Amino acid sequence: MSELISSELIKKAEQGLKSRVIVCLDVAHGRVVKGVNFKGLKDMGDPVELAVRYQEQGADEIVFLDIKATLEQRANALEVVTRVAENLSIPFTVGGGLNTYADVAQFLNAGADKVALNSAAVKHPDLIDQIAKGFGSQCVVVAVDLNQGQSQKQDQNKPLSDYQVFINGGNTPTDLDAMQWLAQVEQRGAGEVLLTAMHRDGTGLGFDNELMSKVSEQLGIQVIASGGACKPEHFTETFLAGSDAALAAGMFHRGEFTVGQVKDELLRNGVAVRNEYLKD
Amino acid sequence: MSDSVINEASKTVGVINTGAGNLYSLNGCLRRMGFYPVTINQPSDLERYDISALVIPGQGRFRTVMTNLKACALDEVITNWYRDNKKMVGICVGLQIMFEESEEDPGVSGLGLLQGKVTRLQSPKQPMVGWADVQSNEEWLNNQTLYFVNSYGVSASDKSIATVTYGQTFVAAIASNNTIAFQCHPEKSGVAGEEVLKQCLS
Repeated sequence: MSELISSELIKKAEQGLKSRVIVCLDVAHGRVVKGVNFKGLKDMGDPVELAVRYQEQGADEIVFLDIKATLEQRANALEVVTRVAENLSIPFTVGGGLNTYADVAQFLNAGADKVALNSAAVKHPDLIDQIAKGFGSQCVVVAVDLNQGQSQKQDQNKPLSDYQVFINGGNTPTDLDAMQWLAQVEQRGAGEVLLTAMHRDGTGLGFDNELMSKVSEQLGIQVIASGGACKPEHFTETFLAGSDAALAAGMFHRGEFTVGQVKDELLRNGVAVRNEYLKD
Repeated sequence: MSDSVINEASKTVGVINTGAGNLYSLNGCLRRMGFYPVTINQPSDLERYDISALVIPGQGRFRTVMTNLKACALDEVITNWYRDNKKMVGICVGLQIMFEESEEDPGVSGLGLLQGKVTRLQSPKQPMVGWADVQSNEEWLNNQTLYFVNSYGVSASDKSIATVTYGQTFVAAIASNNTIAFQCHPEKSGVAGEEVLKQCLS
């Protein structure tokens, strides 16, 4: 195990890119919100102020998920995106409710560095090609929500085909083969994959690193691990398993840990990270 | 408040409109650094302001940027500015178009201010997305951790002042005449990026 870990670290160091820590903010009505099982949304503050705070803590990137980006709220959401672009000095991604090329163009033109597509990519895979062609692969993050098959939960060597692709905020299962879908996403021109293990989301058990490891090895684009983190050690584990970036929300929003504490932990374990952040 | 800034000529920076992306991030970054960014859409805009430096923003592909620049005669603006040894900063594709051509769009000529060709990177994953340390003999640039987003780059140049390694080693920054250009995005690179830009624009 320790040999495996050191070889993965050496590989990463030779490659030269830092492991990225990403903070996810849910936005509704122009405010950052925290939901309890998507019910009873609690106001957490202004998106720009919170994003800047996480940037100062050392976040390498921010993902905004506009969980209520209905058409009526579009102008408001675009205004928030522009304010973020003007005030943040790190990259940010916007996702949620983007269904067409015109939607995506609006958000990129408003200042977003990247967009995250989820259900729309499954329903209209051509959208990935179109955005990659129009704006470049670096603008397209495809978010893939996977859930583990019920019968396979105890199997440590489960094949990827045992993971099911879900859409519509994790509510609707699809017939897609997980690995085939991920390969297609790459082939169509996505720049990164945001891979959420739904069976880990909110559990605090850590990322599904077997899954992240397999996908990261098989894809020629970067993999952002998501779902399950509740402490700094979880980030170390997923980077050692091969994830290129890792995303969390709750553990930061609840004030349990700062991004800086995660990075301190990563540096202690020899994971190369950007170390520009405020010390506590 | 803004009047005092506008009148301070040394703080006015012209941002070339390449028509290939929004300028919110770049303008926001310049303002945070105390500069006053103005958009240059056509050659005559240069006469409207007392500009201390030009910036070529980093969004868009090689062909789109070259086509748009030519349509507005901004390619000549950049070339003349470069030849007159005036202060200029290029970002990402803004570095790439200074070379002769790019594998991203074969057959499209760059500005040819610098010798060489932009090639597809042999990187472990493409596009390269993320933060990396640059190596440089310049103290202000060496070991800075900066944000890269690119699939193409210049593998070597006699004007290189910094390199970065992701699978292969390639040019992270060049300096020639009074122009400094980056393959990375300093405007997206936190405090380190702002410090690097300040060094170039001050």
